[in-house]
Amino acid sequence: MGLKNFEGADEEFNLEQMEAETEAMLRLRYLNAENATFARTPGGFVSLDIVGEADAVSPEHYDRVRVVRSFPFTAPDTYISISTTEEKSKEIGIIKDITKDVSKETRKMLEEQMNLRYFTPIITKINDIKEEYGHAYWDVDTNEGPCRFVIYMNSSSVVSLSDVRLMVTDLDGNRFEIPDYTRLSAGELKKLDLFL
Amino acid sequence: MKNKKREISEENIKKSGKLPQEIGAELKSRGITEADIYVSVRTDMDLNCDFTPGWLILTKGKKLISATADPLSGEIHFFKGMETRKSRTVARDRKWNFAEFDVSDLKNAYVERSVSGGFLILVHKDVNDPEAEGLAETAAAVSNHCMSGATKIERLCEKIIDGKEIDEEALEDDEEEEFCPVCGMMYPDSDRKVCPKCMNKKSIFRRTLGYLKPYKWRILVMFLCYLATAALNIIWPYLNGVVLYDRVLGKDEKFLSFLSVESNRFAVILLLIVLTMVMTKITMQLVGILQGVMTAKIVPRVVKSMRNDVFGAMGKLSINFFTSKQTGSLMTRVMSDSDEVSGFFIDGLPYFLINVFSIIAMAVVMFRLSWPLAIVALMFMPITFLVSWFMLPRLWHRYGRRHRATRSLNSKIHDNLSGARVVKAFGQEGSEVRRFDKSNEKVRSADLAVMNYDNKFSALYSAAENLASLMVYIVGAYLILIQKRFDYPILITFAGYVGQMTGPMDFMSFFFRWFTNCMNSAQRMFEIIDAVPEIQEKENAISLEQIEGTVEMKNVTFGYEKNKPVLKNINLKVEGGHMLGIVGRSGAGKTTIVNLISRLYDPQEGTVTLDGVNLKDLSFKTLRGNVAMVSQETYMFMGTVAENIAYARKDASRAEIIRAAVLASAHDFICRMPDGYDTIIGSSGRDLSGGERQRISIARAILANPKILILDEATAAVDTETEQAIQQSINMLIKGRTTISIAHRLSTLRDADSLIVIDEGKIAEQGTHEELLKQKGVYYKLKELQTKALALKGIE
Ligand SMILES: Nc1ncnc2c1ncn2[C@@H]1O[C@H](COP(=O)(O)OP(=O)(O)O)[C@@H](O)[C@H]1O
Ligand SMILES: [Mg+2]
Repeated sequence: MGLKNFEGADEEFNLEQMEAETEAMLRLRYLNAENATFARTPGGFVSLDIVGEADAVSPEHYDRVRVVRSFPFTAPDTYISISTTEEKSKEIGIIKDITKDVSKETRKMLEEQMNLRYFTPIITKINDIKEEYGHAYWDVDTNEGPCRFVIYMNSSSVVSLSDVRLMVTDLDGNRFEIPDYTRLSAGELKKLDLFL
Repeated sequence: MKNKKREISEENIKKSGKLPQEIGAELKSRGITEADIYVSVRTDMDLNCDFTPGWLILTKGKKLISATADPLSGEIHFFKGMETRKSRTVARDRKWNFAEFDVSDLKNAYVERSVSGGFLILVHKDVNDPEAEGLAETAAAVSNHCMSGATKIERLCEKIIDGKEIDEEALEDDEEEEFCPVCGMMYPDSDRKVCPKCMNKKSIFRRTLGYLKPYKWRILVMFLCYLATAALNIIWPYLNGVVLYDRVLGKDEKFLSFLSVESNRFAVILLLIVLTMVMTKITMQLVGILQGVMTAKIVPRVVKSMRNDVFGAMGKLSINFFTSKQTGSLMTRVMSDSDEVSGFFIDGLPYFLINVFSIIAMAVVMFRLSWPLAIVALMFMPITFLVSWFMLPRLWHRYGRRHRATRSLNSKIHDNLSGARVVKAFGQEGSEVRRFDKSNEKVRSADLAVMNYDNKFSALYSAAENLASLMVYIVGAYLILIQKRFDYPILITFAGYVGQMTGPMDFMSFFFRWFTNCMNSAQRMFEIIDAVPEIQEKENAISLEQIEGTVEMKNVTFGYEKNKPVLKNINLKVEGGHMLGIVGRSGAGKTTIVNLISRLYDPQEGTVTLDGVNLKDLSFKTLRGNVAMVSQETYMFMGTVAENIAYARKDASRAEIIRAAVLASAHDFICRMPDGYDTIIGSSGRDLSGGERQRISIARAILANPKILILDEATAAVDTETEQAIQQSINMLIKGRTTISIAHRLSTLRDADSLIVIDEGKIAEQGTHEELLKQKGVYYKLKELQTKALALKGIE
């Protein structure tokens, strides 16, 4: 990134510069407690300072970073991608394992951010599912309170994330999760049977 | 309506009148009256993502106020399709929390999307440096249900920050929430204002009957056949039991004298009765055949005309309809839907009427014969009826599951076979077999469940049935032997009726489900037939005889989804006969630009004009007749090479086809194929390489001879040498026509009169080749990369 300021770079075409940029694009940087310091911002976000980079021209500081899971369903604690917040965001680095590589406070801070981003009500009880004219009307209890929503009757509305885990997507694209459908009661299962 | 410029009207201000009183009071205390409000939108979460009602209010004083109620535990949260007007009203005694933000103090405002919603984030200006970003904070959280409101606030804030006027168009309620007037529910699809719950079943029914009208005489014959069958069915046990046993074999004097034969000629009568019985059976068979023939004649025709209507309607629909997933699944069902509907109306409905008729008639006859026995017999009818009423849906359920499992297995096979090359290349045959086994196992267990339940059902059903017969026999025997009410033949007749009654009863239990299924199918069909295309030809659209070919885009903003703009404020102009080159990263929005120019979509803001006429006002004939596109995705229709080239001009002569193929550098490889221009290609035919397909699509466009030629990475899949050749022909081709060419290889665009560089939906650079090189921007970089970098490495 700092390479852009090289003298004369805009005079003549500089292949090295371009290759360096490409290299930067292909680089995978792991963040951990040693090289990254996260802090809470007054607005409720998280800032990041990177330290100890050998080739850094100036210390890297980011006012606000985006915290994204690489494998939100299968490995929510590993490979957490930290990136800039613009629309065309660039990745700053990856935390390989949030349970090991960063401090407890940092982990808590980052998890707060992710919990907002991956907010998904967990269905705890199915009161009713009614199918009518290509739509299914759901009446459920979730950990976020009772919800009533409608899904299209097609295969993409209820997706199985694993053998027992289901994700339900409503008309607007709101997600609801059933972590283990085998733990539902027989009556609930019967209502759900259509989607299994 | 949207084009009409209006003063900010009272009406718009009134829309904020739905704010709860507490919010109104709070606003007043902050010195904000109703007239000061630009817009108010709903939110449905607080900042911790707890569901709770809330509002975002933007005022003319450039203040943004967020109000959220304290979450109530146990409060039901309604999403789209479930929400009603009533569920939207917020109870009086809620505690509200307010926050106020100064929009003119902001650097930036945007919606950060989460997996099923988003956060409105406000970035303040830095206190010391107004050019820099300062504090960022979250103003509101919404689920996708309230997303459109949040993005509306985002757009308006952007306008305020950019110092732009807020006009009526921006304030317009673009997604007027509409509720079904009957049940009060919000329409699941706000573009298609039909309430699936309340869609008038009567009108669907009547409309479907309309398809049968041309065949009304035949249907009458069919109906009569059904009626005859039913009547004969009723007569049969009577003949068999009462007449044969009781009257004839029992030598009933009265009966014989009624037939005016003497009892000594008994044999004749016996013969007569047997003959009658034989004739009855034969007639039953004949009627059955006749009715079968009628059905076979009518059903396919009705199905055909339904399908034609559906397909015709589909053709008129906009591209959007075909790409949106949910309609995609609608489409695949259309074909089976027409079967289902006509099957029901032609088979099910008359049969239903006949069955009602039979049941009543049989009951009457039974009561006439012996009422105590009739009561016993009919007593068991409800039991068999209930057994099937309860068990059949569950049985279907299991059938449905087996069907789905089989379908998933089939798609797995399909997936595997079409990806056979990859499977082999990575040596994954073993794991594919295991994957297959897993699906196969599912089919097996579903199959087992069907059989188990089917057995259970049949056993229970026939037990109930047998029990009914048994009871009839027992009670009958009692009545005959002890009470001597009637004779044995009546019992035979009765047993016959009991046996015959189960059929219609069975049918009834299954009929209601059939009826709902049919109505479902009919509704899906009519939905497509009635769908109003988003892109429509205006009523008195302008037709141009001769066109210049000047294409212009003014302030165009467009997104495939309403709230996600892909193109932002695009301005460009191509003079008639000139060539415009478009470059940019993949995903930048290049294809989207040409999609708008060929009016596959309409822009959300701004205009696209051809020769100064808005595309929306132009007739399809002028537009489609003058614009041809060779796109990234080539599509070959089933048919010969020649047919594919002549797709847009069916009347083209062979010479013209060959000329077009030569210009597209396709002639040589076509002639190398054994069947030449008559080679069958497309889904069932010969496989072509990507480059070959592209060349055929170029030939297709050349033959169409359009005034405006759009090449969207048209030569991306051909080798450099062929590209040179095509380039040559394109150079010839572009003479006298407007060309818009998208390409990654800049050499393809060297003849362009002007070039634009698109980045993230905006025009980053614009000008001629020389101008852009001078700017030393993106284009320069690309150019250098493509020439020097390769040269340095000794390539080219
Ligand atoms: N039918 C569609 N529905 C939704 N998004 C689309 C659709 N087609 C393209 N997009 C998105 O719009 C953006 C621009 O796409 P496009 O114009 O095809 O880019 P390109 O410059 O590569 O031709 C991309 O982010 C793409 O994901
Ligand atoms: Mg493209």
